[in-house]
Amino acid sequence: MKILLKVAALWAVATLAIAQGVPADAAASQQTVTQEAPAAPPAVLPPERRWRLGAAVGYGERTNPLIQSDDIPVLIDLDIAYFGDHWFFDNGDLGLEFLDNDVVTANLVARVNSDRAFFSKTNTRYVTYSLMAGGNLAMLNNPQTGAPLTPVEALPLEPPKRSYAIEAGVEALFGGEWGQASLHAFHDVSRTHDGYELAADYSYRITRGRLSLSPSVGVSYKSSALSDYYWGVHKDEQSVTLAAYRARGGLGWEAGLRTNYYLTKSVRLAVSANYERLQHSISQSPLVERDYVFGYFAGVGWQF
Amino acid sequence: MRRILTLAGFAAGLLLAAPSFAADSPAPVKLVIKPLLCVIDKDATSCAVTFDIRWKSPQPAEYCLSDSVQTTPLRCWPRALAGEMKQERQVTEEFRYWLSLPAGGLPPPAGAERLSEVKIEVLRVGSDDRRRERRTRHVWDVL
Repeated sequence: MKILLKVAALWAVATLAIAQGVPADAAASQQTVTQEAPAAPPAVLPPERRWRLGAAVGYGERTNPLIQSDDIPVLIDLDIAYFGDHWFFDNGDLGLEFLDNDVVTANLVARVNSDRAFFSKTNTRYVTYSLMAGGNLAMLNNPQTGAPLTPVEALPLEPPKRSYAIEAGVEALFGGEWGQASLHAFHDVSRTHDGYELAADYSYRITRGRLSLSPSVGVSYKSSALSDYYWGVHKDEQSVTLAAYRARGGLGWEAGLRTNYYLTKSVRLAVSANYERLQHSISQSPLVERDYVFGYFAGVGWQF
Repeated sequence: MRRILTLAGFAAGLLLAAPSFAADSPAPVKLVIKPLLCVIDKDATSCAVTFDIRWKSPQPAEYCLSDSVQTTPLRCWPRALAGEMKQERQVTEEFRYWLSLPAGGLPPPAGAERLSEVKIEVLRVGSDDRRRERRTRHVWDVL
C-alpha cells in the first residue's frame, strides 16, 4: 500500500509537470490569425548512431522478494548500448544477429541471469526458539552443538549464497504498427544452475504530442533446475531456521507501463512501473517473503 | 588646459558616436514559439502541430515572419510593436522561424538579417532496427 501511494504521488508530480508544459489555447487574443502551412515532403532520415548512451536520475525502488533482504533502490539508470551491423551490446547483453527480414529479427544472445541480483542485498537476522516454535512444543536442537535449544537462544537466519549464471540463447524480435513482441529461450552455459528460461513479451507505444506511453505484458517459464538453484533450500543449507525446499518449474507473468514526456530532443521526464508475479513454486519457497516484484521509477532522463 | 581639451574632445566623440552605435544595434526583438519540439513515432511520417507564435519589439516597424521551409514570408505586420498568430502544420523535419525587416516595401530578401530566430526540433521515437526496441530484464532497468 505504501508503495502504491509512493507511485501515485510520483505520477501526480509528473502529470503536473506535463500540464505545466502544455501551452494554453485560451491565451490566444483576438489578433490571432490561424494559418495552415502546406504539408512538407517526408524527410530523408539520417542513419542512426551506433552508440546509444543515456542516463536517468530520479527516485525509484524495486522490491526484493527474498527474506532478510532490502529492497533495491534505483536512483540512477544508465543506458549503454552499441549496435553494429550484426553484433550488438545492450546493457550487459551481447548479441549476434543472424536473421533479419520483414517479419523477424533473430539474435544469438549471451546474458547474465537476473535472479541473482536479489541475493546481493541480504541481511542476517537472529531468531529465537520461541519465535521459531510459534506455539509448537516440540524440542529443537542446536545444529552446531546438538544440545536442546533454550527459548532465548538466538540462531542466525540468513539467505543462502547464490552465483551469477551466464546464459546463452536465441531471441526473435517482431515489430510493426501493432506493437513490438519478442520470444526468448535461454540456457545456462556456465554450469551454475543448468536450467533454462522461455519468455514472451509484448508492448505497444502510444505517442500523443510530446507524451509517449508504453504498456507491456510478458510471461516466462523458468525450469525446475533454474528455479530450484536460486529459490530452493538445498540439503546442505537446511537448518532449524530454514526448512529444505525444492522449487519446481513454473510460469510467471509481468505487466508494466513506461511513460516519457519529452521536454527537448535529449531531455525527458520518465515515470515507469512494473509488476512481476513470481511463479507459484518460487513464491512458496521459504526463501521468498513476497510473491511479487514491484518496481517503479520517476525522474529525468538524458539521451546523449 | 591640455587635459581639459582632451577630455572635451573625448566626450564630444562619444556624443557623436552614440547615435550611430544605437542605429547599428537594433533593440532586441523577442520571438516566442510553442511548442519547440515535435515527437514523431517510428511508424508515422509527420506530426501535426499548432504553433503558437508571438513576438514583441520595443520599436514599431514592419516585421515579417519567415521559415526555412518556404521562400516567401509567412506573414508581415505593418508598423507593429507586437504580433501573434497560430500556424497549423505537418512537421517532418527540423526547421526555423525568424523575424526580419522588409527591404524598401518588398519582402525581406533571402539573406536579410534575422532579428530573432527559433529552431523547431524533431525527435523520432522508436527505430526500424528491432534490436533497438528489445526490452532488457535487468533489475535496474526501469526506463
